[in-house]
Amino acid sequence: MADFRALILQRHRQLKWKLFDPLEAALMILCGVCIAMFTLSVMLDVVTRTIGAPWLWLQQVTTAFFAWGVFIGMAAATRRNDHFYLTEITKRMTGAPRTAIEVINRVIVLVVAVLLIWCGTQNAILDLGSYRMPSLIPLTVYTAIVPIMGVLVLLFTIEQLVNGWKHGFEGPEDRDDSREAIL
Amino acid sequence: MSPTTVLIMMSVLFLVFGYMGVPVAFALIAGVLAATAFTQISMQSMVGQLFHGIDTETLLAVPFFLLVGELMASSDVAHRMIRLSQTLVGHLRGGLAQVVTLFSMFFAGISGSSTADVAVLSRTVAREMDKEGYDRAFTAALIASASTMANLIPPSIMAVVYGATGNVSIGGLFLAGVVPGVLIGVGLMIYSYFWGPVGVMKKRAPLTEVIIAARGAALPLVIPVIIMGGILSGWFTPTEAGMVAAVYIFAVLIPLLNRKHLTELPRDFMYAGLLYSLPLAAVAGASAFGWMVAYLRGPDIVAAHITAFAGNDPMIIMFLLVAMFVIVGDFIDAVPAIIIFMPIIIKLTEVGNINPLHMGVVIITTLVFGLITPPYGLSLLVSSKYVGVGFGKAVVRSLPLYVVFFATIAFIVVFPDVALWLPKHLLPESVGCFKAPGTGAYICP
Repeated sequence: MADFRALILQRHRQLKWKLFDPLEAALMILCGVCIAMFTLSVMLDVVTRTIGAPWLWLQQVTTAFFAWGVFIGMAAATRRNDHFYLTEITKRMTGAPRTAIEVINRVIVLVVAVLLIWCGTQNAILDLGSYRMPSLIPLTVYTAIVPIMGVLVLLFTIEQLVNGWKHGFEGPEDRDDSREAIL
Repeated sequence: MSPTTVLIMMSVLFLVFGYMGVPVAFALIAGVLAATAFTQISMQSMVGQLFHGIDTETLLAVPFFLLVGELMASSDVAHRMIRLSQTLVGHLRGGLAQVVTLFSMFFAGISGSSTADVAVLSRTVAREMDKEGYDRAFTAALIASASTMANLIPPSIMAVVYGATGNVSIGGLFLAGVVPGVLIGVGLMIYSYFWGPVGVMKKRAPLTEVIIAARGAALPLVIPVIIMGGILSGWFTPTEAGMVAAVYIFAVLIPLLNRKHLTELPRDFMYAGLLYSLPLAAVAGASAFGWMVAYLRGPDIVAAHITAFAGNDPMIIMFLLVAMFVIVGDFIDAVPAIIIFMPIIIKLTEVGNINPLHMGVVIITTLVFGLITPPYGLSLLVSSKYVGVGFGKAVVRSLPLYVVFFATIAFIVVFPDVALWLPKHLLPESVGCFKAPGTGAYICP
């Protein structure tokens, strides 16, 4: 239980529902699983090639874990507010202006998430008929992560909007440089 | 709406959203999707472009080099390299400042991440510098400046991204980055020696101490040999070299040097997994943005403006690009900047008949400079936070160090043969050399 909690970033706690904490922990674990699995698959790729019996499908497994890792990480970073930002001007704002900007920012992310879900789902359905050679893995296995990520980003953005509206977006952490969390 | 208007609208939307506080990846996607509404292209295909942007095998090297940095930073193995640096240069004037720079050179050969370098130095040497009376603004400025070498000295994540998107040899870019990386390091050491704080003067370490420290650091210092040796010998691709280095750290280095850290490995993997998704999420957004820039004929528009001033003169084209990327690097992170502007870079490389490897190393060195310039100097932001000094003060203290970067950039623009010397000798094909039929000797352009 303690380990599970250790995976949840407590910064801006007021923006989070406890209900989604297991989801954040699961995404963090999946991030680790993805990088571990594609490390393993690249290693096996080198080993099998060196011994003269290459498994060609390993490269496709590797890229699948890689792509899933990126989009899962993107969703996790949304809940943790860990993304790269061009600036942190909102952190220096307070009161109504802060609320207004934070709400607008999240509405923009919300619209992007909806478009990712809608267009990503259409792409994934279309990709059911395409396969990666030589493994014959349907392309959907790769591209389905885009709408899944869209759904997760949508959930986390709604969570932040609702909680931010109720409890305010400001937190004691705003005095610190928010890039701390990246490290 | 004309393509130019759409292009301007897309760029303005990205910057406005980005500076309002929308995450970079989402600001890029929002700008692109808004622009898509004014073109014949479907939203669906632009969303597909997000996935295709990262569906490149060469980009797989990025997480490995970040993982290596994360493992080295968290497992406390790096302090052995700090000890070696102290025995080698700790006795010079501004001893700890020299240690920061030399350690960063060593660490740059292991990790492709500037932030990992900043984290290690801020937790260790920065505290010692504080005790010895170095002013914190200087400490933050120096750590940030020295950490930029991680993006030049191989393995470099920027080189991986540049090579993957610009179709330039990554091995060649790695080698071409060595000279500017070392020049920046030497420049910082010279500045610290003559104009930096004196610190506490110490005696030169006896040879036995140097040997002991070198033995202690030998295992970590095998990593650059694995990476570059593997790539140059043709055994590994850069991705595989990154994997071998990561496996070497958690299978050999950590069990031998810090066994207790083994239980922390799952945590390291989780955080490395999250860390690599951050730049690559920006890569996904930037690749769609770059695609749209190319579709809207952005490269032709920019190239027309630049060639109207510079003609086909490669040096003037490069200096104009340097000026452009100094400004770009101030506002946008280097990785998305490389991808967004790649169509323009390729166009101007052709116009000026410039060696793509030379262009690559100049652009990377210029963007590296953006890591220490306001308002988006990520390395300086992180180091000032860790060292505990205001960002503004750290910027002021960085100003003299900017000279080192400008001098290095100018040097590699004017003397391409110096930057290309290593790749020409160790990886001739990367510079465009080809084997002469029959003799086996290389003919270079």
